[in-house]
Amino acid sequence: MKKLVKNLVIYSVLILISLEILVRIFYLGEDKPSRFVDEKRVEKWVPNQNGYNVTGNRNQNFIRYNINSSGFNSYQEYVPTDDGVEVALVGDSFIEGFHQPYRVSIGRKVENKLHDEVKVFEYGYSGYDMADQLHLINAYKEDFDLIDRIYIKVKFNNDLNRGEYFVQTSRLNLESPLNKLLKKSKLLVYFSEIGVLDPVRDLMKDVKNLAKGGVSEKTETEESETDQQQLDSTYLANFKSLVSLYGFDKKKTVLLIDVSETSTVFLDYLNANGFQYLDFGNAINNSKRRTTLVYDMHWNNYGRTLVADIIKNDLVTSGLAKNPETE
Amino acid sequence: MLFNSLEYFIFLPIMFVLYWFVFNKKVTVQNALVLAGSYYFYGLWDWRFLFLIIASTIVDYFVGIMIENNADERKKQKLWLWVSMIFNLSLLGFFKYYNFFVDSFVDMFQLLGYQIKSTWTLQIILPVGISFYTFQTMSYSLDVYYKRIKPCRDFLSFATFVAFFPQLVAGPIERASNLLHQITNKRTFSYEQTAAGLKLILWGLFKKLVIADGIAPIVDDIFMHYETYSASTLILGVTLFSFQVYGDFSGYSDIAIGTSKMFGVELMSNFKFPNFSRNVAEYWQRWHVSLSTWFRHYIYIPLGGSRVSKMKAIRNISIIFLVSGFWHGANWTFIFWGGFHALAYIPVYLMGRNAIYKDSVVGENTLFPTFTEIGQLILTFAIVTFSRIFFRSESLTDSFNFIGRIFNNFSYEHYVHPNGYRMVDYYILLAAFVLYEYRIRKDERSPFKFRSKAVRFVAYTLVVFTMLLFYDSGFDRSFIYFQF
Repeated sequence: MKKLVKNLVIYSVLILISLEILVRIFYLGEDKPSRFVDEKRVEKWVPNQNGYNVTGNRNQNFIRYNINSSGFNSYQEYVPTDDGVEVALVGDSFIEGFHQPYRVSIGRKVENKLHDEVKVFEYGYSGYDMADQLHLINAYKEDFDLIDRIYIKVKFNNDLNRGEYFVQTSRLNLESPLNKLLKKSKLLVYFSEIGVLDPVRDLMKDVKNLAKGGVSEKTETEESETDQQQLDSTYLANFKSLVSLYGFDKKKTVLLIDVSETSTVFLDYLNANGFQYLDFGNAINNSKRRTTLVYDMHWNNYGRTLVADIIKNDLVTSGLAKNPETE
Repeated sequence: MLFNSLEYFIFLPIMFVLYWFVFNKKVTVQNALVLAGSYYFYGLWDWRFLFLIIASTIVDYFVGIMIENNADERKKQKLWLWVSMIFNLSLLGFFKYYNFFVDSFVDMFQLLGYQIKSTWTLQIILPVGISFYTFQTMSYSLDVYYKRIKPCRDFLSFATFVAFFPQLVAGPIERASNLLHQITNKRTFSYEQTAAGLKLILWGLFKKLVIADGIAPIVDDIFMHYETYSASTLILGVTLFSFQVYGDFSGYSDIAIGTSKMFGVELMSNFKFPNFSRNVAEYWQRWHVSLSTWFRHYIYIPLGGSRVSKMKAIRNISIIFLVSGFWHGANWTFIFWGGFHALAYIPVYLMGRNAIYKDSVVGENTLFPTFTEIGQLILTFAIVTFSRIFFRSESLTDSFNFIGRIFNNFSYEHYVHPNGYRMVDYYILLAAFVLYEYRIRKDERSPFKFRSKAVRFVAYTLVVFTMLLFYDSGFDRSFIYFQF
């Protein structure tokens, strides 16, 4: 029996070391950039870092990212000025664009379509909701005052869960010393990405729920889904609260939304109160070509082109840019 | 509880430690642990169906004793044997075949022009593993009746034999003559046996997680939308299904045999590289061996086997294949599948080639197979794969439409994976798998037989690494044969 235990331990350790080496050789585990909260209590990526975002078990999506000195993924630095036309794109992972080459991001596509007449600064960060976004704009008011137009990507059902900004500790826990140590193992990062650790996490959740008295999260979700109207009014109330707390320049700020997934209560409110919005859902959902990536739900190159077209058209309509086709 | 679940990887070491360190003093205590563990293992699916296993255990335990107690009265012995047969076949008949008979009866009347509404069909859940453990208990009563074994008078041992968790839900279907004495006798820990078991578990997991589960989304997609695909894609689909079902079931069997080894119990081999069969007869000596030999011992030989006239032998062959088809499921597709195999087997039998490969493997004394052997392998694989169109289709109509699309409108089209993955990854994987299985073809119980420790270590690492490369967390990882 001793021999069995000894050999099991030796083989397991050696196999794990070999796997770590193989994962590194084939670059299967993604580089996880570090995040932090800056002096203005804005959560963002630690400036000036780069690496590779990897999706899929077999390295199916392999993209380099570049965090600029402002803490966002972009090919350029964000220095708003009084001159020229500057545009801000604020949003979550769809705007952050770790799943796409940063040189052909939505912002860069808009710039190309308008022959570099405008500069587009992309303030994208995975998990940003409306509170994060409005707090960011408010915290960097001097910069955003210089920007001519601001687009905020919002998903009504996801991004209005809170009526006030506070730092999300759950995301920052990923920067705990233990997690930082774990991130050093590419094998663990790979395990986590491909879902090998999901059953362990599920089991731990189940154990926790059992310890709490057997209330599963599923039940809570099922219950909450039964009263959509109440949820809609909560989201709307949160929106009003955020606007009153952090401000909202209706003249130059435009919400980017998928109308087909947005409550009519919210749309009616926006229309009645002079909030501008653009619908990207129509173009994305009715496209004959695939608009999302193969391995996850983020927009692929074509999806990004469609969204860039919508923004470009809006900039032309609003008079901030000339129509490149009529030039 | 699935063999490829986290629960099992917690359950198994706990059982192992308790078995060898805590309950190791007496065989009865070890058996009590295994029985409790087995009932827990099964009960996680649906504890209500535990009563069926317990009922089957009690009936056959007493039938065995009563057969021996009436040693001088053959008629009474036969009566007791009938009790076992009727009880076990009734369980199967009700839970597995009741709705099939009712529906077929209604369909038959409708064909004759009578319109009857089927009001007798019931919402019946098929208890997992019922076809396996009922066959195991029936074989026990039959063996006692034919005096091949003595009945077991230790109920705990007998219950453990019936419910032994590694093979409870999908076999191998054990004979009491092989398993029961291992349960009643004291087991001793052996490093070699346990290590061999762990290696088999690793290989079984590879076959399940990589080969079967990796291919499954492609097969599902092609069979679900076969009306929209070209002939080349349909051929690809059924070929991949051949690998899927082999990886799934033989993977399960390897894990079952490996787990048993860890508890000091040797189960019979269930798969002996059937993809390297040189004719259909050899295929049936290598595929689902425990079921094939069950039918051979308890149906084919009692009917006279091949030691009767040619016509009767053909009848016997047809019967066992049709029954085998029906065993797989209550659907005409399985009966057609069995019938097709009978048609493929009979010419081999008539040419006297049904037993010529019994004691050899392809490339017996050479590194590579001869061109003739390669031709035989391809032909056998093609026949078996073709039959799987019936095995996999939802209905006979689907089967014939599927075949019709292959033969009536042959064309080639490039197939794209439903999730967008590179198809070439799967082709490389399967080619490597076939080559590796060819290398180990002489011993199905030693998948990592390398003299050098370093080479063995590289093999383990590559197997685990490939499992990660093809792991799909979003896939339903149940085993195909659980439905039978």
